[in-house]
Amino acid sequence: MIDAVLARMGVVSNRGKSVAYGALSIAVLLIAWFLSTSVFQLIEPRVLPSPPEVVQKYIWHIVEPFSGLTLWGHILASLERWGWGVFFGMIVGIPVGVFFAWAPWFRTIVNPIFELLHFIPPFAYIPLAVLWFGASTATQAMVVFIAAFPAFVINSQLGVSQVEKIYVDAARVFGANQFAILRRVVIPAAAPSIYTGLRISISNGWMALVGAELVVGKVGLGFMISQGQENASVSTIFVGLITIGCLGVLIDTLVQRSERYVLPWRKNVAVNLG
Amino acid sequence: MAPKLELRNITKWFGSEDTGICAVDDCTLNVDQGDFICVVGPSGCGKSTLMTIGAGLEEPTRGDVLIDGRPAGPPGPRRSVVFQKFALFPSETVEQNIKFGLQMTGVAREEQERRLIEQLKIMGLEQFRKAYPSELSGGMQQRVAIARALVMRPEILLMDEPFGALDAQTRTILQEEVQRLHREQHYTVLFITHSVEEAVYLGDRVIVMTRRPGRIKKEMTLPRDAIWKQGDIEAAAELPDFIEARREIWALVREEITAGQVI
Amino acid sequence: MGRPASYRMLMFSVAAVAGWLTLWAWLTRDGGPVPALYFPPPEDVLNRFWRMWTRPYIGSTLWQHILSSLYIVLTGWAAAAVVGIPLGIAMAWWSKLKWIVFPIFQIIRPVPPLAWIPLTILWLGIGDVARMSVVFIAALVPWLMNSMLAVYSVDKLLIDAAKALGASDRQILTRVVCRTALPTLVAAARMALGSAWSTLVAAEILAATAGLGYVAVNASQLLDTDVLIVAMIMIGILGIALTALIELSQRILAPWSLQAERRG
Repeated sequence: MIDAVLARMGVVSNRGKSVAYGALSIAVLLIAWFLSTSVFQLIEPRVLPSPPEVVQKYIWHIVEPFSGLTLWGHILASLERWGWGVFFGMIVGIPVGVFFAWAPWFRTIVNPIFELLHFIPPFAYIPLAVLWFGASTATQAMVVFIAAFPAFVINSQLGVSQVEKIYVDAARVFGANQFAILRRVVIPAAAPSIYTGLRISISNGWMALVGAELVVGKVGLGFMISQGQENASVSTIFVGLITIGCLGVLIDTLVQRSERYVLPWRKNVAVNLG
Repeated sequence: MAPKLELRNITKWFGSEDTGICAVDDCTLNVDQGDFICVVGPSGCGKSTLMTIGAGLEEPTRGDVLIDGRPAGPPGPRRSVVFQKFALFPSETVEQNIKFGLQMTGVAREEQERRLIEQLKIMGLEQFRKAYPSELSGGMQQRVAIARALVMRPEILLMDEPFGALDAQTRTILQEEVQRLHREQHYTVLFITHSVEEAVYLGDRVIVMTRRPGRIKKEMTLPRDAIWKQGDIEAAAELPDFIEARREIWALVREEITAGQVI
Repeated sequence: MGRPASYRMLMFSVAAVAGWLTLWAWLTRDGGPVPALYFPPPEDVLNRFWRMWTRPYIGSTLWQHILSSLYIVLTGWAAAAVVGIPLGIAMAWWSKLKWIVFPIFQIIRPVPPLAWIPLTILWLGIGDVARMSVVFIAALVPWLMNSMLAVYSVDKLLIDAAKALGASDRQILTRVVCRTALPTLVAAARMALGSAWSTLVAAEILAATAGLGYVAVNASQLLDTDVLIVAMIMIGILGIALTALIELSQRILAPWSLQAERRG
């Protein structure tokens, strides 16, 4: 039946149909939510607030400070901690990964510890971070660091170990020393893989940050959610969840888009004039 | 006078000498100043190994590589290499690729620029100066690779099946250009190929290698002023002398290929 | 050929681990540079481990805490499998179902699973069910996505071949798709369990009355660093053991897939 209606509207391609079905499915969900809360009041607002309530709460959080900060303030606080953690993960993780591939003896020594620590989920470090640094930015940043660091190491190592020997040979033929080979051949060749590492690290770090903020701290999006729980305000939790999800998508999209500017030679448009 | 490049009694084993593979067995090869030497042989006969040893990228198990009678040592600006798969650095533009060797050997900036422009002109690459290798066709990429080698003004140019990865038309055009470059600038070239026709067209001397382990089967000197070297390869293929030389060398290569098949 | 080399590597690794342990002991020795409050020496951790094994710590012995964690994680993981695998396969098989269900998943996916913890606490209290449902959410996405992927990864040629041999749609699904998709499903199991395990730890830190995460957060508040290290090590070891179990099951269920897995 839906197919027939869509066909009359001129939607026949699979792509168009998938969008139409998806929109329909989300619309049905939203209407069901609206009907069950606002219209028929089947579910208590304490358990599930109505859509208008959530929207209202969202606006309220943007305008009014909550625990001292507006929504923007909480977002900035979260981004700052996350940024530090990912940044340190990067400046430590990439050299370690490159060195893993460059010097196998180093890898043999460090790998057992790395593997063991890697198997402990980042959240398990939260209590340790709290014990070491108390409720400070350093605590959150350390947890983000621990979540972000391994992907940098693993992917830079992978990238470097996959560099084709012929490029290294070519560089040697033209008189490059080890440092020049690393800088002009190996690192650029490993860059796409390192970029993948960056994407994974960023999303792992974001996840870990939320976890850390749920446990300690007085600001941030995770803190907002946990306050929502304390105050039994489901709508505040919803505001937090939506913001966290949207920011996650936004950051990932930005990183993905930026790849073509950072690694311009990956455009790969064959002009074919020869 | 000592030859420009001399490979003396080169033997190369991969792995240990009893369990490994012998790629090259006691090969001796002299390349004189201004010579164009072509090495042909069945695939996997160790001719590329011979080239990498000649370039200093690999150490021979036994034997010596000499330039002007002195040990050649590690790779350096006296020898340039053109690789089969171009080996252009994908993250660098045409300009950066060509300047690579000059920068590594500390040539002054103005001199780098001067030589770059000269090479771009010779190879017809002026408009691709800022392009990345992935934006160029295979033929253009190989021009860049040749420019990158020539810009070093090497004493010896080593080419490892440089046209093997190109389509037939592009290959023909580049063969003619290399012929012209050699005729005009008298480079000393060691050229590895599996194409007998290419070897006869380009080489002053053609060296035929046996199947693995690679030994030198026969060395043939072709007339340096052969008439086919004046024109293009299409015209050459119709000259009786050219056909005769090609037939003779092909018979030698063929022997090696069929002998390999029996085993 | 690789045997002596890998043996030597193993010995090297063992030596490296011994070296790291020695370094740990040296740094945390009496009067050493790292005080026991920040990082306890190895012997304290071992002692504490034994005490926790034999006597209860915050209500339960170590073994009971482990069982509690395992119980929650495995229940949530298995429940997610029961929902995720059939749904994933069905979504890959009937595109209309995918068009309907997938957008909802796309909306929920960017929210880290543990961000749901406060909501589940509000809705379900701090009992086992709250933690199970968070683990369920964490495991559901990898199960579902990879089950879909598993069906898509089946070579179209195999399906065509089965069709040409007269198999019905249902026969193709059960005989060809489910079998060739098995290795991807094993990978799904591993990813789902990894996600479930790490989310459980967060859930136990926030709301529990037993479990390793609960032990860790209490130890942190009581400044029992040695207990905290025991808990972290146990979390790591259990993570390794669970992964090993899945790899073992892969060896038994789909031995042909092992080689390809390792290369990839």
